[in-house]
Amino acid sequence: MKKIINTVRFYVALLVGKISIHLLRITGSGGTSLPGKLAMTIYPEILRTLGAKYRIIMITGTNGKTTTARIIEQILTENHIKYTSNKSGANLISGLVTTLISDVKLNASPTSPTALLEVDEAAFRLASKYVNPAVLVVTNFFRDQLDRYGELFSAVEAVREGIINNPDTTLILNGDDSLCASLGKDVQNPVIYYGMDELPESEEENGKAYNNDASYCLYCKTKYEYLYHTYSHLGYFKCPECGYERPEPLVHIVRVPAMTSEFTSAVIGTPSGSFEAHINLPGFYNIYNALAAVTFAEVLGFSHEKTIKALSCFESGFGRMESISLGEKNIQVILIKNPTGLSQVLKYLATVDKPSVICFMINDNTADGTDISWLYDVDFEPLKNIQSRIPQIFVSGIRAEDMAVRLKYAGIFTDHIIIEKNNQAMLDSALNMLDVGETLFILPTYTALLDIRKLLIKRFKLKNFWQ
Amino acid sequence: MYEINICHLYPELLNLYGDYGNIQALVRRLEWRGINVQVHSVSIGEPFLQDRYDIVFMGGGQNYEQDILHKDLLMQKKEPLIEAVENGTVFLCICGGFQLMGRYYKLSNGKEIECLGAMNHWTIGYEKRLTGNLIFKMEGLKQQPDGLVVGFENHSGKTYLGDGVSPLGKVVYGNGNNGEDGYEGARYKNVFCSYSHGSLLPKNPALTDEIITLALKRKYKDFVSLQPLNDKIETLARESMIKRLIKP
Repeated sequence: MKKIINTVRFYVALLVGKISIHLLRITGSGGTSLPGKLAMTIYPEILRTLGAKYRIIMITGTNGKTTTARIIEQILTENHIKYTSNKSGANLISGLVTTLISDVKLNASPTSPTALLEVDEAAFRLASKYVNPAVLVVTNFFRDQLDRYGELFSAVEAVREGIINNPDTTLILNGDDSLCASLGKDVQNPVIYYGMDELPESEEENGKAYNNDASYCLYCKTKYEYLYHTYSHLGYFKCPECGYERPEPLVHIVRVPAMTSEFTSAVIGTPSGSFEAHINLPGFYNIYNALAAVTFAEVLGFSHEKTIKALSCFESGFGRMESISLGEKNIQVILIKNPTGLSQVLKYLATVDKPSVICFMINDNTADGTDISWLYDVDFEPLKNIQSRIPQIFVSGIRAEDMAVRLKYAGIFTDHIIIEKNNQAMLDSALNMLDVGETLFILPTYTALLDIRKLLIKRFKLKNFWQ
Repeated sequence: MYEINICHLYPELLNLYGDYGNIQALVRRLEWRGINVQVHSVSIGEPFLQDRYDIVFMGGGQNYEQDILHKDLLMQKKEPLIEAVENGTVFLCICGGFQLMGRYYKLSNGKEIECLGAMNHWTIGYEKRLTGNLIFKMEGLKQQPDGLVVGFENHSGKTYLGDGVSPLGKVVYGNGNNGEDGYEGARYKNVFCSYSHGSLLPKNPALTDEIITLALKRKYKDFVSLQPLNDKIETLARESMIKRLIKP
């Protein structure tokens, strides 16, 4: 009897979920989480029932989840594997449920038997109780929204607990991150690491006050020695006391022959030989995202040829260096959410050699993090160094004035800073300042991204983000 | 030419919530007035030379990081730090740094962690974190008669002030030291303690200048007052939060 009731509840939940997805999409509000939430209220076990029908690939970590997912999607496409994914970036449990509800047919059989799901670190712990992913990719751990998560280590521990719930899941881990690599220690799971060899681009960040989220050994609290840093706390770490060190990566970046403001080309070493690939997205940090995706392709035994093709043509995700061409001028939208991410974005902007206009949009809603002090953990030096070719920096969003103060104390000339809280007006004056071939870089926090994207969709007829 | 030496204690460990912004605010506002400034990082295994510094800054860290430095702080730096406090060196201690200046931190499991004991306050661990925007009112902020200081707090310890220590200000919005007595932060001799980050100093230039003035007056008998700066942006940022959080 109980079984029948559960079956009925499951189908009712599925139906309600499907109808609400449909209704929310025709009203234009996206509906990437709410349908899942409704379905879970009706049948809390829905994720378990649906999850069992899919081969699940999960991606978690602080930064790079969405971009890594987009590259893996392209790799799956090149290999003719049908998949569904939470493209919208709704990465809490309700978002995962919505994605699966949206994919299954009314008889509950999957349309695409593979599900590629990016998942928030804390939500992964919960998801791990319901689903058994075939593969888990972990990108990195950096300080992020401490007002919500408490300490950085709690995010690492959440993922660790989730892994313990799934001892069969193959783990693909960033071996250059001492926090991420520790997830592969003392577990039964198959573990594969990826990492970067020492490159001329590697940074000398030793002794810098910025971004030292993990300078002391996780196991014995001794200061790590680094053979080299790639960025932030990533690199070849080694504990002189207990011997914990960067694991040997199976897939690794050997060389980076070119890094421009449009793309990167990288030589990637794998057990089946090395190859050079053109990565269709600039930024040093995106090399790691590409590397995580390549490692995934290696684990699944895909051909290098198809991986190379995927890397050269994937589309960046919603607000992740998303480019909008307006004929003669360009807009690029880059989501910013934590110190390491923004520091890396500023480094990327320093590689753009044309004059450009930059707009920071800083909100402090719950999804952005209510504490904006993270802006002071960002290294603004690269921006300061290029301010001669940045005629104006706009600041917008709820905390526009705070961002202006931050820029002032970073050494940006105050006459370069314009506070404009009206996005429409900001967009107009910023675009007016650009000459042919120049770019407006919009750097929003999460809810500011939703706001600006709404405006961009209206003005330039962009795709909706769930498409 | 005037010169100020700032000591940044354990910068790679105590840097949780934009603490670096406080150092940057001190440095910039000194530089903008043509005053020489040096920042000295003093971390584990490095001596704290109490006569060398005019301003000492100690920020906050995660429990993990505070564990790492605890032994060094108590075994190597306690005596010279207390001596510096008693000699009138200017201190700014935020969040974890504030707690460490007190007598002890009692965890919610009852375990007591010894602190520096440079000041008579103590902290009791509490399960629920006190997190959110914070506004408090300071008396006698010369450049800013309303005395309103704006920041953000995020702490699980509740701090209580004993005899000899006065609050830095009175809470207008938020929790402050413990969410009970309406006090925020602490003052003792030339020590300023606060739970407010955000960072505290860039947006509250009157407080920053108060700290700088104290340090200059202590070091140079002929020093009278600081040259005023254009604080338009800082004022906008502070006032936008005051307007948003407390009705005018």
